[in-house]
Amino acid sequence: MALATVRSLSYRYPEGLEALRECSLDLEPGEVVALFGPSGSGKSTLLRALAGLVPHFHGGRFSGRVEVSGLDTRRVRPAELAGTVATLFQDPEDQVVFTRVRAEVVFGLENIGTPPAEIEPRALEALAAVGAAELADRPVAELSGGELQRVCLASVLALRPRLLLLDEPTSQLDPDGAAAAIELARSSGATVVVSEQRPERVLEACDRVLFLEGGRIRDGALPEAWLPREAELPDAEPAGDPVCRLDGVTFGYGDEPVVDGHGLTVGRGEIVALLGPNGSGKTTLAKLATGLLDPWTGSVECEGRACYLSQDPGRYLVAERADEEVALAVGGDLSKARRALAEMGLAGFEARHPRDLSSGERERLALASVLVADPDLLVLDEPTRGVDPERKDELTRLLRAQAPGRATLVVTNDHLFAAGVADRVVSTAPVRELAVA
Amino acid sequence: MRPAAAAALLAGLAAAALLAQRTASVAVIAAVLLLLCLRAPAGRRRLYLIGALVSGLAVVVVTPFVEQIGTHVLWSGPTIPVLGHLDVTTEELRNGIFQGLRLTAVALAFAAYALLLDHDRLVQGARFARRSVLAVALGTRLVPTLERDAAGLVESLRGRGVEVTGLRGRARLLSPLLAGSLERSLNLAEAMEARGYGRPGATRALQPQWTLGDKSALVLAVALVAVGALWL
Repeated sequence: MALATVRSLSYRYPEGLEALRECSLDLEPGEVVALFGPSGSGKSTLLRALAGLVPHFHGGRFSGRVEVSGLDTRRVRPAELAGTVATLFQDPEDQVVFTRVRAEVVFGLENIGTPPAEIEPRALEALAAVGAAELADRPVAELSGGELQRVCLASVLALRPRLLLLDEPTSQLDPDGAAAAIELARSSGATVVVSEQRPERVLEACDRVLFLEGGRIRDGALPEAWLPREAELPDAEPAGDPVCRLDGVTFGYGDEPVVDGHGLTVGRGEIVALLGPNGSGKTTLAKLATGLLDPWTGSVECEGRACYLSQDPGRYLVAERADEEVALAVGGDLSKARRALAEMGLAGFEARHPRDLSSGERERLALASVLVADPDLLVLDEPTRGVDPERKDELTRLLRAQAPGRATLVVTNDHLFAAGVADRVVSTAPVRELAVA
Repeated sequence: MRPAAAAALLAGLAAAALLAQRTASVAVIAAVLLLLCLRAPAGRRRLYLIGALVSGLAVVVVTPFVEQIGTHVLWSGPTIPVLGHLDVTTEELRNGIFQGLRLTAVALAFAAYALLLDHDRLVQGARFARRSVLAVALGTRLVPTLERDAAGLVESLRGRGVEVTGLRGRARLLSPLLAGSLERSLNLAEAMEARGYGRPGATRALQPQWTLGDKSALVLAVALVAVGALWL
């Protein structure tokens, strides 16, 4: 008997956006289902429907039926489904309630009525399982994105749910961390539905794949961009006149250095991918390269203008209109800004408020806001986080097309993207083999 | 010490500062609280200390101009419509310093609460009104979260070569900060509901027993209020 059933589910958000259309599926106990589809195809909404958050939390128009473990999600509130269902959301930063890791993992266990004597041991066990036992007493604010994602995973695994819903659970993890997280979810014994934009990370571990497009579950083979690809990390020699040169730089946020004696050169015309495990100082090195941080020791020499696009840039948009946001980098020149928007496929969005755009559109807007300045050094920090393979291919083409005029540094955990876009790879990890995964 | 006992002690100090009638007593309480706040990391305490000291100073400056007490005139100014005759007397100045110290002491007590207490343990240890305690703990986190968001916005602009300078530059960040904060609160509320918040039958992780020190702190907190009301 299926653990969860979805029958003829259609859903429209209160703002009018139709997210799901006539979706039907069965989820069997213990199976692992990968959920693929372009940005905005309804993956997150389907997960929310399985958790009962749609329609209870979001409102909107809901038709059809969703049952989990025999409970009709329209009649049972999401809080009452918790424990049976556990959801890991896309942005770990937005789901943290407490200031310390231990309390964060304990929170869900207390809510679902776990016997008091079992709460701490289960929380610590879940933290140990995700390799975060040493983080138990750390403040959440001090964790890196990858560490925080592991803590959030521990918070849901501690509940020992029957249905585990994971919305891009590996977006901030390095390949090793991602493989471990997926394997952990699989071995939990729960039915797992995992939405991913990097299919290569889950295809091997899943029992079957669902592909969503335009709110419908599509039958047939996966589109080409979603199929696993063979790729090799490039190993070309440094080329072009150096635009940015870091020599023996050291920097840290506390007493301990995060970057310790690193060197890096990026030449005009080349794209360099900066890889390395979580917490190895990739972002810090990128910020040092663009002058956002001053090194403790060592030297940074940069020629011309440098632009840096942070992780999750859609969160940090400041203007009231899309064209004004882009124009900020070019002294308010709206005509340049509109051309940049058109190049990113955002023509017609000029007057829209940046926060009214979808997450994918926000990412493109943020990219336009740095490309418009035509910088000599362009630094992109995790530009493929939450980006689907089709759009990733578009980004690769765009960066390759613009590469000859500038030096480009891409900080990424996405080795497949690095293999496709970069001329060469630099690692912040201790010397080791870098795998395409 | 348990966070609940420490919070009671801080509340006792703040109440004593509000009830005390002597400027010197309030000054001593404020100084004790300032010393406590200085135990927090420099980067985190700066904003709280500036807020506490500036608001206290503002009361010291404004009070003599809005009060009309005392006969020992130190300065006599013009007559302003609505406000009347502006002057500063010794009594007004004394009262301004007294009220300013009171406000500073209360603000420093809050700063010590926000900077030094483990709010997670405070929520977990609450035997009643847990929702209210959680709301207060989340509210307390608002300041550091806004600080982090503001830093992210400034970095995003600097990354595009736009320096954020002056009052106008910083004012531009207010609207996106507010919008970001609302977005974040909605996402957080959704995540809390998904993790069973508000469901009947919630339990609590085992808490350590109250120590003698914790109990003494509670008694001291009550004593501070009484001493503040009767002798200070």
